[in-house]
Amino acid sequence: MGQKGAEGEMIELVGVSKKYGSFTALHEVDLEIEQGEFIAILGPSGCGKTTLLKLLAGFMGPTDGFIVMDDSTVASAKRVTPPEKRNIGMVFQSFALWPHMTIADHIKFPLDHHPNRKKESRQEVQERMGEVLRLVGLDSFSDRYPSELSGGQKQRVALARAIAPKPNLMLMDEPFSALDVELRMEMRKEIQKLHRETGASIVFVTHDQGEALAIADRIVVMNQGRIEQIASPEMIYTRPETEFVATFVGKCNLVKGQWQDGSFIPKINPHCLWPDLGVAKTFKKNGIYPVRPEQLQLSMVALNGVHGRVTFVQYQGHEIHYTVEISGETWTVHESVYSPRFYVGDEVTVGLKKAVKPEKVLVSN
Amino acid sequence: MIIKQRMAEERRKGLPPFSLFFQNKNFYKGIGLLAVFLLFLLPVLRLIWLSFVNEGSLTFGYYSEILREQATWATVRNTLVIVMGSTILALVLGVAFSWIVAYVQIRGKRAMQLFIFLPFIIPSYITTLAWTQFFGGAGPVAAILALLPGNLQVPNLYSIGGIILLLGLSHYPLVFLFTVNVFRKIPRDLEEAAATSGLSKKQTLRKVVLPLALPGIASGGLIAFLSNLDNFGIPAFLGTPSNIRVLSTYIYEQVVGFGPEAFSRAAVLSVMLGVIALFGTLLQWFLLRRSRVTETVRGDMSPRIFLKPVRQTLLEIGLWTFLLVTSLMPLVAMGALSLISAYGVPFEWGNLSLKNYEYVFFTDMKPLAALSNSLGLAIVTMAICLVLGTLFACLRFKFPGWSTKTAELFITIPYALPGTVFALCMIFMWMEPVPGWNPGIYGTALILFIAYATRFMVLQIRGSYTALLQIDPSMDEAARISGATGWVRWRKVLLPLLFPGILSGALLVFLMALTELTVSSLLWSSGTETVGVVIFGYEQAGYSTYSTAFSTVLVLGILLGGLLFMALGKLWDRKVLKAK
Repeated sequence: MGQKGAEGEMIELVGVSKKYGSFTALHEVDLEIEQGEFIAILGPSGCGKTTLLKLLAGFMGPTDGFIVMDDSTVASAKRVTPPEKRNIGMVFQSFALWPHMTIADHIKFPLDHHPNRKKESRQEVQERMGEVLRLVGLDSFSDRYPSELSGGQKQRVALARAIAPKPNLMLMDEPFSALDVELRMEMRKEIQKLHRETGASIVFVTHDQGEALAIADRIVVMNQGRIEQIASPEMIYTRPETEFVATFVGKCNLVKGQWQDGSFIPKINPHCLWPDLGVAKTFKKNGIYPVRPEQLQLSMVALNGVHGRVTFVQYQGHEIHYTVEISGETWTVHESVYSPRFYVGDEVTVGLKKAVKPEKVLVSN
Repeated sequence: MIIKQRMAEERRKGLPPFSLFFQNKNFYKGIGLLAVFLLFLLPVLRLIWLSFVNEGSLTFGYYSEILREQATWATVRNTLVIVMGSTILALVLGVAFSWIVAYVQIRGKRAMQLFIFLPFIIPSYITTLAWTQFFGGAGPVAAILALLPGNLQVPNLYSIGGIILLLGLSHYPLVFLFTVNVFRKIPRDLEEAAATSGLSKKQTLRKVVLPLALPGIASGGLIAFLSNLDNFGIPAFLGTPSNIRVLSTYIYEQVVGFGPEAFSRAAVLSVMLGVIALFGTLLQWFLLRRSRVTETVRGDMSPRIFLKPVRQTLLEIGLWTFLLVTSLMPLVAMGALSLISAYGVPFEWGNLSLKNYEYVFFTDMKPLAALSNSLGLAIVTMAICLVLGTLFACLRFKFPGWSTKTAELFITIPYALPGTVFALCMIFMWMEPVPGWNPGIYGTALILFIAYATRFMVLQIRGSYTALLQIDPSMDEAARISGATGWVRWRKVLLPLLFPGILSGALLVFLMALTELTVSSLLWSSGTETVGVVIFGYEQAGYSTYSTAFSTVLVLGILLGGLLFMALGKLWDRKVLKAK
């Protein structure tokens, strides 16, 4: 997608672990981030994603492994380059604006001190300030204090402060979690725009899979201190490689059964035969077919197929979410509002939608 | 959860930029702890030691001697009665006021809180002086009672009842301070849940609100208890003329009475006083043992109980009358009576003059010298505490391990001890810091500096530490990401944010040191009199017109300083923090 230069990897994490006493927050993480790449780190709270971000920032050092940035090792178990000496910018979860400084002060601060921008004339600093303020659309607010701004404006100040010294790497720690839904959508675009214009690599931490899918070039899914999968949003969504990714990102139903010659026979009804729409090897080995809710469809009871009973119906506007109980298992099915409507208690047959073309082809690039 | 907590610790460690000095952590840790132990805890241990030692051998002789004396038991009985009575009074007043201020819709709460705090910033011996004038022969109470039919007598303040009244009035602001936010933080929905479960307002108060407020009430009660036990000014001013002794004044009498065994006897009495204080702390611990607190994060400032307009007005009138009569009127009476030309003459136009002021400030050289002594003491103590206390607060924040916790505990002890006991500890410690070597610290101003810095250090630490806790770590992290190193981070980001907290700690130290009486009354020597000592001296010599004149000037000075501080605080909020 928006990859700028293809100069190869700019940041490399090799076998990075972080332990707090006997608790391991990160297990031997390997990750490469390319120049200009937009990476989202996705995972539930406590999965180690914030720890990873803090290690990249330099607020703490790894217990094992090392981190390379721009060809120099910035962190190892022995030595850590502090954040003030790294060429980075960061947007904090709660903005972290200084209450005693104006907006202009906030942007001037990194221009005065950041290692990337130190030897600049006063005029250049002024010019850069104006440029950055215009970029985030706050040029008329430069004399205000943070307490006089709305949530969205604070977020823009935080962004402006981070990009002002033109860092190579931008770190974002759930930057939208303090905003309401409407504003989030707007800020997503804002960040995509900034990414295009600055060309910096971005590492964006979030627990919202929709956000990660929407803005990242690549997604790193983490769970319990380990990386589960690294891939493009489409790959993560349609071809999950682990059970965790399948359920956390795609909300998949993990159907048990048997794989035979590239087809799947569900345990519940051995008379069915489901084609392979792009299932990862690990699932095939374990006899699981991860089916996303929108891959399933409901129909009136038919002879062939899996039978069940609707237990919950949630109308969502653009689609309808059904919960279907099938011999003790609970499946989630998302149906379009244009398909036949079912109600609680209805006996239904659940089938796999015929894909127009196998998703293997769709994501093979 | 664990990870979050640990991360918070890890983040803190990144904060103060002087980590270079702490390369060899254990070595410095050991040195620091030893220094804190020597300065703060050893004096107390030496006091306890001395109560058991007679000419180099261990003995219980002093204990058995003192415990056999009638006077001891009378003093202990007085102490217990007075402390219990005044603690109950302070608790009732403090809890009632804090409940009303937190819960009931009334106007002018801010002004009301200022008046509640007035007895807190005026030293209690001056308050006592004001009350004796207020209730005195020429005072307004006597004048009003004389107008009323019947032969009404002015209540005698020089009695156990009077001491209880003044201690209670002086210390209920402490209870208020501890409980008002506890009441505000009780989640409103807990009361609503009780109401929907069918409890009446009164039942809710009894079964939900008060149990939840218990931790605040108990710690407020403990502070009031310890302050009542510790107070020297009130029982000294009111009890001494009528031969009512409590432990703190009895210890004082032992020490100033000299005699061959004065210090040892005083040490034994101090240990007894310490044991009583310990019991209070245990009682509080016992009360809080099983309480679990769920609080809303921020206090709920809006009122929960609305009264009918008439009742509200009546309540407001009642509260204001109480506040004005107990906090302002006595001071006004004292100010007015300081203008009469001689003790005992009626308060009439012809008898007014500035003669007392003239004597205090021009004839007698002591008050001015004392004022400059006290100011010097206060400024130096504030400066020492400001630097060392803030430094320690940073360490405590950056290394929240057992070593800094232990050090803080040691540093708290001199402040928690009753003043007379602490002064005695200082004498034992610094008369001969190393046995057999007397560097002449005791008997000079130096011992006052040491004593004040030791005693008030914890106030600055608390103030600075709270200020550090209130800064979100991301404030500092954002500065580091922006490339700011060591000093720039402090100057541009941390200090402006910490400033109000550190300053209020420093001002508290200043105020306490400026008006201190108990410790200096035992440690002063000729030429190093403090303000408190001079007023106490006048009072003991019967020159109450002079002491009132001097006190009036002090009260005006403190009030002026307080107003200035408030105005500056407002300005700071508006200019710098933009009224958060």
